[in-house]
Amino acid sequence: MENFLEIRQINKTFHPGTEVQVVALRNVNLDIERGGFVVLSGPSGSGKTTLLNIIGGLDDATSGEVVLDGRRLTGMSERALSETRRDHIGFVFQAYNLIPVLTARENIEYVMKLQGRSQQECDERILEVTQKLGIDTLLGKLPNQLSGGQQQRVAVARAVAATPKLILADEPTANLDSKTAESLMDMMQRLNEEEGVTIIFSSHDPLVIGKAKHSIVLKDGKVIANERLS
Amino acid sequence: MFRLTSKIAWASLVRRRTRSMLVVVMIAVSLWGLYFMEGIYDGMTEQMINNAICSDSGHISLFGEGYRLDPDLSRRVEDVALLDSLLARDSRVVSYVKRLKQDGLVATAHYSRGVAIFGIDPAAEEKHGRLKDYLSQGEFSFGKKGRGAIIGFKLADKLQVRIGSKIVLSAQDSHGEVSAAPLKVTGIIKTNNMALDENAVFIADKKARKLLAMDKGVSQVAVILHNEVQIAGLQEELRLQFPHLEILRWDELYPALMQSRVMMEGFNLVTSLLIFCVAALGIFGVMLVSVLERLREFGIMLAIGTRFSQIRNIIFVESFFLGFIGFSLGSLIGGATLYYFKVNGLDLSMFSDAFDEFGMDAVTYAIIRPGYFVKALIAVALATFLSVLIPLRVLKKSKPIEAINKV
Repeated sequence: MENFLEIRQINKTFHPGTEVQVVALRNVNLDIERGGFVVLSGPSGSGKTTLLNIIGGLDDATSGEVVLDGRRLTGMSERALSETRRDHIGFVFQAYNLIPVLTARENIEYVMKLQGRSQQECDERILEVTQKLGIDTLLGKLPNQLSGGQQQRVAVARAVAATPKLILADEPTANLDSKTAESLMDMMQRLNEEEGVTIIFSSHDPLVIGKAKHSIVLKDGKVIANERLS
Repeated sequence: MFRLTSKIAWASLVRRRTRSMLVVVMIAVSLWGLYFMEGIYDGMTEQMINNAICSDSGHISLFGEGYRLDPDLSRRVEDVALLDSLLARDSRVVSYVKRLKQDGLVATAHYSRGVAIFGIDPAAEEKHGRLKDYLSQGEFSFGKKGRGAIIGFKLADKLQVRIGSKIVLSAQDSHGEVSAAPLKVTGIIKTNNMALDENAVFIADKKARKLLAMDKGVSQVAVILHNEVQIAGLQEELRLQFPHLEILRWDELYPALMQSRVMMEGFNLVTSLLIFCVAALGIFGVMLVSVLERLREFGIMLAIGTRFSQIRNIIFVESFFLGFIGFSLGSLIGGATLYYFKVNGLDLSMFSDAFDEFGMDAVTYAIIRPGYFVKALIAVALATFLSVLIPLRVLKKSKPIEAINKV
């Protein structure tokens, strides 16, 4: 299958050359296929979040390169990285990270507006995505009027609505109860299958890990297992 | 996108409403102070200038050649008929008066003082300036027989005379002989033009001509125009037409008043700078704290694809809202205050002695100029712009993930 994401010789050291130097990633090499549903697992401090951040262009690697759909992210300008994130990558954070002063609808609409889509396009896409995620009745609410699970669904909707090629989700179920977590993962699985979006998420949760088609295990910044499950 | 940008900016201000209101009030109060000081100080200066123009110089004064250096009756304006015909039909001219002037001596039974004697036509003066308005006691006339005199209030104090008191005016006439005339004080004026209040004795033109043995010509022709901008043009035209006359503007005759105006403009500029600094510091403080507090929020926005320039716009719009609301409120209150004092005047009579010393009116009427608001708007806009530069620098230096992890 075609490689959608190539990670080559990625190293990341925080505070290099100081007493508090921390090596977060060591020689990480990975190939992720298009349409993959990939889980990054491993104990705390194993480098999952750091790897997701580097893949998403939110942080720089100390060395190595990331190629996303033929586009080399390493060394890109901030503006180009910003546009890549806007047009090709969706993020789902552990703490939801919705914009607090915008309603659920406006949060979802925000990235589409950044992409320059018309209001009609935005309205149609919002309806489609929110119906799939079962949050179409919550659109007028502010984030602080929503439960954790509802906020995370809005965050997923925000990530999906902009039709990215890749969704990066950092422990998306960590703050959710098990029932809500399972429901969220089912929805993400459905989006992966129906929309063909490549999804990479990190998790400790065996229930979540069990839904992945591709499992990567990290320990002390190294890939210790890389297995395609189906 | 603009709607969302504005909404985020506005909502962020509402979310921190106490702090936002504090900045708005700070800007508004600063502007109110600025408007008040500018309006009142300009009012004081303009009143002093007006007093000089209306009671003496007009916008332009014409004198005989050399009269200013050696005010002798022989150095007089002779072309009165030609001047009359020119000035009477010039649409720029509101009015003009002709005066005879000679230094002399006024004496009572107990005191005597050197004075400036003005021979005037009260009807023409009344139409011309506000000399009649300056009357503080008595009447603005010289009596049926023209034997009255109107004198400055300080001169009256020094001579210890009042309405009806007898004085004797003496001066050198045009033949070089000493001439004298007994007169009665019919009026006392307070012009706040120190030169007049301390030294002037106004008498009827006819009486002056008889006293000074001068049947033709005048010492001074004072002209008032519709608009200050017309002064230089008319001065130039008159100079070309009457090259042998000294034709001077009010600011050439009263350079100290012009200096006061320039000094007040400088003072107002310094005040504006101070206001600008206060507004800039206020907005800067709020925007810096606001940006630092929301680094995580901005980090998320950067992470999901917002360009730095778009976040910069949000921050600019926020500070623009603060500045605009502060400016509007300050201008509204400041404008209303100035309007009140423009109509009713600021009564500082309790300090009237001190004001008299400086030739100022005890009641100052404020001035409202559009320039005050334009200047304040520019100052607030500049303060608004500059105050967000450092917070933006802080944000620009942060990578999205650093910003997200700040809290």
